[in-house]
Amino acid sequence: METKELQPSIIHLAPLDQVLAIGRANSLWPMTFGLACCAIEMMAAGASRFDLARFGAEVFRPSPRQCDVMIVAGTISKKMAPAVKTLYDQMPEPKWVIAMGNCAISGGPFAFEGQYGIIEGADKFLPVDVYIPGCPPRPEALIEGILELEEKVTGSRRWPRVQCG
Amino acid sequence: MNAPVTDKSLAVLDRTAETFVLNLGPQHPATHGVLRVKLTMDGEYIVHAEPVLGYIHRMHEKMGENRTWAQFMPNTGRLDYLGALSYNHGYCLAAERAEGIEVPERAEYIRCITVELNRIASHLLWFGAFVLDLGGFTPLLYAFDDREQILDLLESVTGARLTFCYFRFGGVYNDIDDNFITGAKAFVKRLRSRMPMYHDLVTKNIILIKRLKDIGPLSQELCRRYGATGPVLRGSGVCFDVRKHEPYSVYPEFDFDIPVYHECDSMARYMVRMDEIEQSLRIVEQGLDKLPDGPVMAAKAPKILKPAKGDYYAAVEAARGSFGIRVVSDGTNTPYRLKLRSPTFSNLSLFSEACQGMILPDALALMGTLDLVIPEIDR
Amino acid sequence: MRLEAIRQALAALAVTEEVEVVKIIPAPKPAEGEEAAKPTEVREKVSQTMLFTPDYKKKGFHLDIKVPPAELPAAAQSLIDQGFFLEAITGVDWPKEGQIEVVYDFNHWDELCRVVVRARTDRDQPAVPTISHIYSGANWHERETHDFFGVKFSGHPDLSPFLLPDDADYHPLRKDFKA
Repeated sequence: METKELQPSIIHLAPLDQVLAIGRANSLWPMTFGLACCAIEMMAAGASRFDLARFGAEVFRPSPRQCDVMIVAGTISKKMAPAVKTLYDQMPEPKWVIAMGNCAISGGPFAFEGQYGIIEGADKFLPVDVYIPGCPPRPEALIEGILELEEKVTGSRRWPRVQCG
Repeated sequence: MNAPVTDKSLAVLDRTAETFVLNLGPQHPATHGVLRVKLTMDGEYIVHAEPVLGYIHRMHEKMGENRTWAQFMPNTGRLDYLGALSYNHGYCLAAERAEGIEVPERAEYIRCITVELNRIASHLLWFGAFVLDLGGFTPLLYAFDDREQILDLLESVTGARLTFCYFRFGGVYNDIDDNFITGAKAFVKRLRSRMPMYHDLVTKNIILIKRLKDIGPLSQELCRRYGATGPVLRGSGVCFDVRKHEPYSVYPEFDFDIPVYHECDSMARYMVRMDEIEQSLRIVEQGLDKLPDGPVMAAKAPKILKPAKGDYYAAVEAARGSFGIRVVSDGTNTPYRLKLRSPTFSNLSLFSEACQGMILPDALALMGTLDLVIPEIDR
Repeated sequence: MRLEAIRQALAALAVTEEVEVVKIIPAPKPAEGEEAAKPTEVREKVSQTMLFTPDYKKKGFHLDIKVPPAELPAAAQSLIDQGFFLEAITGVDWPKEGQIEVVYDFNHWDELCRVVVRARTDRDQPAVPTISHIYSGANWHERETHDFFGVKFSGHPDLSPFLLPDDADYHPLRKDFKA
């Protein structure tokens, strides 16, 4: 498919943009798109105990055309990479990518000398906005990643940062 | 909703010129991951289905050949991440058999208890996700509620929620404490009291019955030709469970039954898994009562394994069927060859033949009852 | 009982090979005051039928048989006739011998009896006959083995790449494979 260069709009209304950004950040729609183990933790984050709905990001859509956020949850094999790219291309703008888990960050445990099957990190072919480390990351970590993404969208953090330690 | 090829559907199938190809996956919510099925359809009827694999091939067998025996352990937790402890167990059995390590009794009991808890967690997730495939969202929330209780327990001893790496050659990494024991006992009680609720909510639901009863029959002969194991086989009336058939660890000490249903349909496979949850609860309960004192690690377990030349086989009953592992040792500290026989690989291979002439929603119900975990198929 | 039946059925198919056996002949008892002589090792070539019943506790299987590649379908036929099911097919690469070993694992539902059938084929032109017309499940296992080792299963309906990408022309589990 041919991609056209989109013209940026001539008039920018700063307050309007900000209102839109807040609207987008508070209801991110992720894609129902699991690759491997991390997808189970993604499901857990959406299910009863962790309840992603508290942060407005629970509307998992099976179709890329209805999504804002792609959560790359798992190992990307060389065979799967073109499909992931197609899915990303099918998402409407504005869109964001979260690399969940070590595999999506760097290949994780499956990156070794002489490996023949995987892409070592989603950022090799996608513009990743937020990285969530872990193998797999806990659901809390995914929630924090979503909050981090909200901050990136709006420029300010909606929820207080939890001090640890 | 008719599953078998009837005269009517055969008449439809004859018009091969009017077929079209439908691509299911690799990103599809009902395929549980990255399975792709190329379907040749005639209207709603499936003429031919060809599963395409390899979208999550993670080179486990290659990795086994270039690291030491112990270093491969974390990989076993990432094969079938829903029932990771069974895979830990299978690999440990193979390595212990090759090296001739004796495992202390307490460690064996802990292994059985944690594996069974993991099996329940796996079946609960399957239950939620399967009913979700059929269009019911709520049971997933109930199932995850109970599953989280198990994960809390397992996390307290293993340190992980999903991709466990808890077993060691000659025992387990960590002893269980009183908190775990009281917690597990409370959980057994809790889940037992909730099982009737699951049956009221889902099993007796007329929609579920209509979707599953007499759908997707798998004959014994078909299962034998394809090497199906686990709940898929037990739903076809064959009492084959590695825990009873080839007893390992301390399973002979426990009193439990193997649920077998003879209807061969999707409902039978559903019921097998639901009954297995209750049987696993029995094992956990007995294990906690009988738990002996003692060490959890064999005193003489070598740090670096160098098994004698030759090949060794070990099998366990994982949540999805018989998981076998064949190791070939050349006497060095790395395995020469490591073959992982994953149950869902064989279970899925029968899908192509079984779904011919079915309508698509029924085929998806059949696929759901196979309980697929794709990284375990692709390895 | 099952083991004995399948052993008899398969015995005729087993290959006979020249195997080098090391025999240790103990030195004669030394006379008093003399130092004991070392036992002598004698290497002998003995022809042996490659059919073993190993110790199950140690190995994990009951019957281990090596057949010539051409006899694989016959072996599979007698196994399915006795109700065995196929667990897995795999390969093992032996570059030093210049051979690839194809290993078939069978098991039985009713009685515990694990049977291992092996066949060795030339490493440069590895080919064995398919058993996918006997065990339908062998279809996928053979495709996988073809992917990983490049073993051609003659008579197999479709040996296109299975777990590897569609354009893969490498066989990653061969010992000399470099990514």
